[in-house]
Amino acid sequence: MAIKSVVSEGRQINLATDLIKLGARLQILESETTLSRERLLKLYKELRGMSPPKGMLPFSTDWFIGWQPNIHASVFMDIYYFLVKHAAVKGIDAAITAYKLYLEQLPSEPGIDPLLSLTRAWTLIRFVESKMLIRVECSECHGQFISRAFELHSRYRCGLCHAPSRAGKKKKVDIIVKADSSKTVLMVDSLAA
Amino acid sequence: MNTSDMMADIRDNNLSYLMLAQQMVRTDRAAAIFRLGISATLVDLIDNLSPAQIVKLASSNVMLARLRFDDASILGLLTSQSKERALSNAHVAILMAGQSVE
Repeated sequence: MAIKSVVSEGRQINLATDLIKLGARLQILESETTLSRERLLKLYKELRGMSPPKGMLPFSTDWFIGWQPNIHASVFMDIYYFLVKHAAVKGIDAAITAYKLYLEQLPSEPGIDPLLSLTRAWTLIRFVESKMLIRVECSECHGQFISRAFELHSRYRCGLCHAPSRAGKKKKVDIIVKADSSKTVLMVDSLAA
Repeated sequence: MNTSDMMADIRDNNLSYLMLAQQMVRTDRAAAIFRLGISATLVDLIDNLSPAQIVKLASSNVMLARLRFDDASILGLLTSQSKERALSNAHVAILMAGQSVE
């Protein structure tokens, strides 16, 4: 058994705190820190004010192939590899920094969870490392995109250079609905006044 | 815009670039390498610059920072009007991450 050091335990608690704040599930905490399950549970409840969600982590690689998830996943993964290559960080530190940078690049609207959760981002790294998913270069813009392994990739075109015709339409409708509902609220307000 | 105004603007730009870069490096080194797109060696150098050195460096009449896109066709791709802003942000991030550092 490893010798217990207060300093390294403090570091582990800091790491776990960072991960919980970014939305990590308990499985990630257990695998990335050396803290016991009981301590992690306590920490989770203290930070979030509730018990961690139960059940398995998402395990499907298909989610990363859909048009919008693929773009988000590719942004995260490219930043992650950039950091590993040029900033000499690795492992969970690289993942945390890359995730924060991803949130900066593709911020979600207030009150809405980011499309790529930290848990998904973490599983994505595992999928790519185990070669279940690979990174392919787009033949037009030469960016690296997430794709299935064992697929034919000659003259691959990414979802940004060659967007499917229906892509990106959903969000606009959402915004219009939201704008309409805020308008009705305003009208109700003015009626009440 | 006359030449002396332009030179003054360039010096202003240089100064704010260097100050911002140093602040970014000191806040989060790894993130700064990604955001600035410069190598770890340069990042350390910027970290160690004294205020006097920054002022001296910024007072030259040439631009210190330059455009990070070398490929004209890619820049054209990104500035095309057909795309939503969020999407072209994502595209820029992907392409920037694919580039090597200066």
